Amino acid sequence: MQNIIEVKHLTKKYKEQKAVDDLSLEVEEGTILGLLGPNGSGKTTTINCILSLLNYQKGTIKILGQQMTPKSYDLKKEIGVVFQEVAVFDELNVYDNIDFFCGLYIKEKNKRKQYVEEAIRFVGLENYQKYLPKKLSGGLLRRLNIACGIVHKPKIIFFDEPTVAVDPQSRNNILDGIKKLKDQGATIIYTTHYMEEVEILCDQIIILDQGKILASGTSDELKTYAKIEEKISVEIYEFANNLLEQIKKLKNVESVEYQNHLLKVLYKKGKNNLMELINFLKQEKVSYHKIFSERPTLNDVFLELTGKELRD
Amino acid sequence: MFYHNFSYNLKIITKNRALLFWTFAFPLILGTLFFMAFKDIEKNEKLDKIRIAIIETDSWQKDFFLKEAWQSLSDVNQKDSVFHITYETEQTAKQLLKENQIEAYILYENEPEIFIKENGVESTIIKYTVEEISIQYQMNQQIIMSQIKNQESNLELSKIIEETERKIKEFEHQNQANIMDNSSKNMSYTMIEYYSLIAMTCLYGGIIAMVSMNQILANMSQKGKRISISSTKKSTLILINIASSFLLETIGLLLLFAYTILFLKIDYGPKFFYIIVLSFFGIIGGLSLGIFVSSVCKTNENTKTGIILSLSMFGSFLSGMMGITMKYIVDKNIPLLNQINPINMITDGLYALYYYEDMTRYYQNLISIILFSLILISISITMLRRQTYDSI
Repeated sequence: MQNIIEVKHLTKKYKEQKAVDDLSLEVEEGTILGLLGPNGSGKTTTINCILSLLNYQKGTIKILGQQMTPKSYDLKKEIGVVFQEVAVFDELNVYDNIDFFCGLYIKEKNKRKQYVEEAIRFVGLENYQKYLPKKLSGGLLRRLNIACGIVHKPKIIFFDEPTVAVDPQSRNNILDGIKKLKDQGATIIYTTHYMEEVEILCDQIIILDQGKILASGTSDELKTYAKIEEKISVEIYEFANNLLEQIKKLKNVESVEYQNHLLKVLYKKGKNNLMELINFLKQEKVSYHKIFSERPTLNDVFLELTGKELRD
Repeated sequence: MFYHNFSYNLKIITKNRALLFWTFAFPLILGTLFFMAFKDIEKNEKLDKIRIAIIETDSWQKDFFLKEAWQSLSDVNQKDSVFHITYETEQTAKQLLKENQIEAYILYENEPEIFIKENGVESTIIKYTVEEISIQYQMNQQIIMSQIKNQESNLELSKIIEETERKIKEFEHQNQANIMDNSSKNMSYTMIEYYSLIAMTCLYGGIIAMVSMNQILANMSQKGKRISISSTKKSTLILINIASSFLLETIGLLLLFAYTILFLKIDYGPKFFYIIVLSFFGIIGGLSLGIFVSSVCKTNENTKTGIILSLSMFGSFLSGMMGITMKYIVDKNIPLLNQINPINMITDGLYALYYYEDMTRYYQNLISIILFSLILISISITMLRRQTYDSI
């Protein structure tokens, strides 16, 4: 598969502060690349540089093999963007908003009409076509925002934190929609600080912090950065703290802690750890309630790499 | 594509209630308030005869031309004339001025000197008339003498005098309109308020241009970001916005004219075409101001609206909307302020049309507003040509 986007050594400074620091990335055709990082890590700045909205000090940006500049109107035809903030006209109804943005790309009236109707169906706004944006709920408004960004059927779509402050149901709708766009052949760049979303959606993930790439790869590849391989949590109401030392001596245990009636045991490797822990608790006559066993998350990877949580 | 975006732009602007109020409704409301406030004053404030005295100095007595010129302006000869002239000694004139029996007296020695008690409409008219007579006096003196010389170099002295008198009469006949109260038919003391209102409406139109332009600038709005990354050229987008803003501003102004003429029965006089021409360029001035504020000021839309409203209101105030005295005070003490005040450029141009036959002042103001527009548009284009930003 060919690379749709190639960014090399991108550096963007705001005065003396580096917002993006020597960032390079490639996005293959038909894949979803996730840019994961906390607020202020440089995700949106990177996208704005790729879109030629922001100037930058160093680096090259190629889209579909061509240098991306503000006047690359042919390239811009192939790009759609869904911003974090809803960018629609309050004065226009749902249909007119989508038609307006479609009109910036598509000249032919009939083709435009067809595209608008398809976009409305895609986001499920068929029953709200005559509604003004202020009459729509937050979730529906987000759907309208997405429709305006994808109505011209772009090959490359940027989603910049589209699920921020969205209810769970709408969030699932948005994520399903993004999967559908990928299935239809679009290449997607998705920024978020929600690790679960990139795990569900993305083929490739880049973890960013302070404008730098900390790690990149598939979700599984990234998890190898974490020291631990399994995390077991046990709900216990009565627990003697002297048992902590004994648990720490069990096979593969990296660390152990007991807080708020929850015993957390982290393992370096992961085989039969759960059985051994249950046996130990039975042996010590500790009564337990719920038990969870988890694989390490991207948050653990981020914690490992930066010493802080993703949402700090 | 042009029509598609143009029609949506019109739709967006015409559904913005705040914008419609400031650009369409507010001038009509203000016009109505002026009408209600001034209709009675109008009746009482028909411009009275301006009472002046001319000092009978030797220079005056000997100057046939000056005597003829002033006599032709006196209400003794012309009922429509604005001047009631008496001929006094300097001492008597001083006394009359002190007792408010006259508005001014004129002393002709080497140069004409005007003595007034206070600034106002009357003093401006007197000053203008004296200057006008002096200019034409000098011009015609040269013309007459050269014509006489060219015609017959051997004329007798009596014939020269005779010929001079004939030329002066001819000149007076031709130029009488210049120094007469030629606008008496439409003379209205409160017209200046309506002129300011027209000028203010032109500038208020700038809000439309500003709002419209904000929508396509990536550093000003989220919609601007989305539009900026589209495949439509920025120059096309700017052109569409300017065209739709201009159309709406023109409609707003025509609405004001229609309303004031048809409902308030305002008589704009026989030079209505020139009023329309100056207003047309006033709209362009307003448009330029809107684009300038939009492209230069990095602040939110409400603040930008506030900037345009404040500039327009303040400019209107300085150019006499709340009372003509303010215009005279500024013109006299800080003339530069009114020279760079776009509202005053329009108001003064219309004022000149109304009060003077001579079009020089009108064209000066017309050129000023065109220059004002060109300067603002040049700066704005420099800003708008930027395709990328340091931060958004």
